[in-house]
Amino acid sequence: MAALGAARGFFLNYPRITNVHKNKHIFNKCCIRPFCKEASDNTSTEHHAKPQFTDSPVQDILTKITGLDLQKVFRPIKQEVKPPVYKLMTDLQLEEATYLAKKQAQKLLKMPPVLPERKPIDDVISVDKILDGMDTAKLVFTDITFNIPHRERFIVVRETDGVLRKATWKERDRLIQVYFPKEGRKHTVPLLFKEENLKRVFTEDRHEDVLNLCLVQFEPDSSEYIKTHTATYEDLEKHGKYDLLRSTRHFGGMAWYLVTMRRVDRLIVDMLQRDLLDDAVSLVSLFNMVHPNSESAQEARSQQASGTDLLKLQGQLEPVFRISGYRQGLLPEALHAAASRTTHPVNTQPLIYMSPLLNTFRSVRNETATPASAACKQRERRST
Amino acid sequence: MAAPIQGISKILCRISTPVLRSLVINKPCSQRLVTLWARSGPKVELLGRRTFCTALPVKDDSPNEAVVRYKDNPWDYLESEEYIERYGKGHVWADYRRNHKGGIPPQKTRKTCIRGDKICGNPCPICRDNNVIIHHQNVKLLQQFINPYTGKVYDPTRTGVCMKQQKVLNQAVNMARDHGLLPFQIPHVEFLAEDFSNSHDAVGSTPTPACLTSGEPWYTWVSPNDSNTSRL
Repeated sequence: MAALGAARGFFLNYPRITNVHKNKHIFNKCCIRPFCKEASDNTSTEHHAKPQFTDSPVQDILTKITGLDLQKVFRPIKQEVKPPVYKLMTDLQLEEATYLAKKQAQKLLKMPPVLPERKPIDDVISVDKILDGMDTAKLVFTDITFNIPHRERFIVVRETDGVLRKATWKERDRLIQVYFPKEGRKHTVPLLFKEENLKRVFTEDRHEDVLNLCLVQFEPDSSEYIKTHTATYEDLEKHGKYDLLRSTRHFGGMAWYLVTMRRVDRLIVDMLQRDLLDDAVSLVSLFNMVHPNSESAQEARSQQASGTDLLKLQGQLEPVFRISGYRQGLLPEALHAAASRTTHPVNTQPLIYMSPLLNTFRSVRNETATPASAACKQRERRST
Repeated sequence: MAAPIQGISKILCRISTPVLRSLVINKPCSQRLVTLWARSGPKVELLGRRTFCTALPVKDDSPNEAVVRYKDNPWDYLESEEYIERYGKGHVWADYRRNHKGGIPPQKTRKTCIRGDKICGNPCPICRDNNVIIHHQNVKLLQQFINPYTGKVYDPTRTGVCMKQQKVLNQAVNMARDHGLLPFQIPHVEFLAEDFSNSHDAVGSTPTPACLTSGEPWYTWVSPNDSNTSRL
């Protein structure tokens, strides 16, 4: 009876589960059992659940930060060359054409999924001792029905000792590539993903190519995909080459990674240096959304801060995890510089930027120093 | 035994004279043909013919030396003065012209320029220069054979490269792209309609079925109702 009810619930909700675009937050929450949709609905309110990558406010912020530079999105690529087409257009036609181009660009800039690493498959279906030693090689049985998604395709392996088990993820990927080859995917992993080659490619500033190739070659929840993306984002963050990914589909993923790692300060500074004040503000609001228990988020909620005040609070209160020393007031300096370039009225009081020798400094601050003396110390250090 | 050898030597002499005439026209190959002649020299000497093999041992060393010079680092040759003097800023294949009958060239270039020790007349741009070595790390050279607008490797009918070297070139280009030395266009991948929840039985975890053992019942035994049995 309970099973019937659950099955009925599943079938009623099936269109909602498969319709990925409209109800993105569902399948992330109830990953394993689609029957518990009712339970997840109750807990998916914004304040209690941690915001996921696929939530619409998060996606809106990330698309806004990515920007839409049509010149970069539609830059010439190496393809079959046709004679150029020249069109004479009125202003109205030009506007229409630009609008269509923007629509196409938004499609191209759709972010690839950010998923947790997939759990290994190690299910044994049956053990038949009678088949032990019958064959010297493992047999793999793949269901090659055309119209089923690859994630619902049954692939089982009969081992030489008679065990019938489900194929592991690597075997699955390999076999699906054999029977349903994907364009651009190779059977052997390209040597580009080896460490030395990756380092060389990063020095040539070809991070976007690496990420595109990673998307083509690996599944989004495989370990190699996650490792390659992490390595790329780390390298970008180390050298501050954020602009390479701006107006590409990977910028959102990078921003999300930095926000979850709480290392957004260099990105904010880079945005301010390029006069993207709104982007910086939205990035900070995303940070506060994802880390609601951080000090800057709590202060922002209590003060109902918005705009540049958010940035100031971030600079004041957010401890920064840096290995190589701390930057002295980098964020406030950048704010000042951006303010002088734009016409936004900014409070020009000296700001205190906290060191990354964090917890100790904070405890010391609570005990001894007042904000004024700390600022004096900062100024002294800057002058020496 | 001697008579057939004498006959062969006569035939060789008959062939050699027109060959020697064409030697005058086709200078670069003359060295190679003279080496060939020298190799058949000892046989002819036995029969009392003169050979032209006096200067050959010296000539044999210099091509080998050149190969040794850039064998480990073929990319250095493209920076050297020798290369710039010979090719300038153009491609290695820019000044090469195939020799063929008629106006339309054959759709395939020759199979190979070098067969054993013998080099053909008018060898292709890669075979004619010993220092031009196709290697997957020799990116500058590989890029000369790739169209900068389409990203494809040029057809051998355009560059004049022999089929064997074209195959080697294709392999080197693929290896370079694999290593990430040569950039190439990557197709765009969409992730729209895919469900990544991994909840399906094919990829999710399913409980192991109970193993059937002989003697054990494979069905659930339902004992009969007491009222039914009492009627019997």
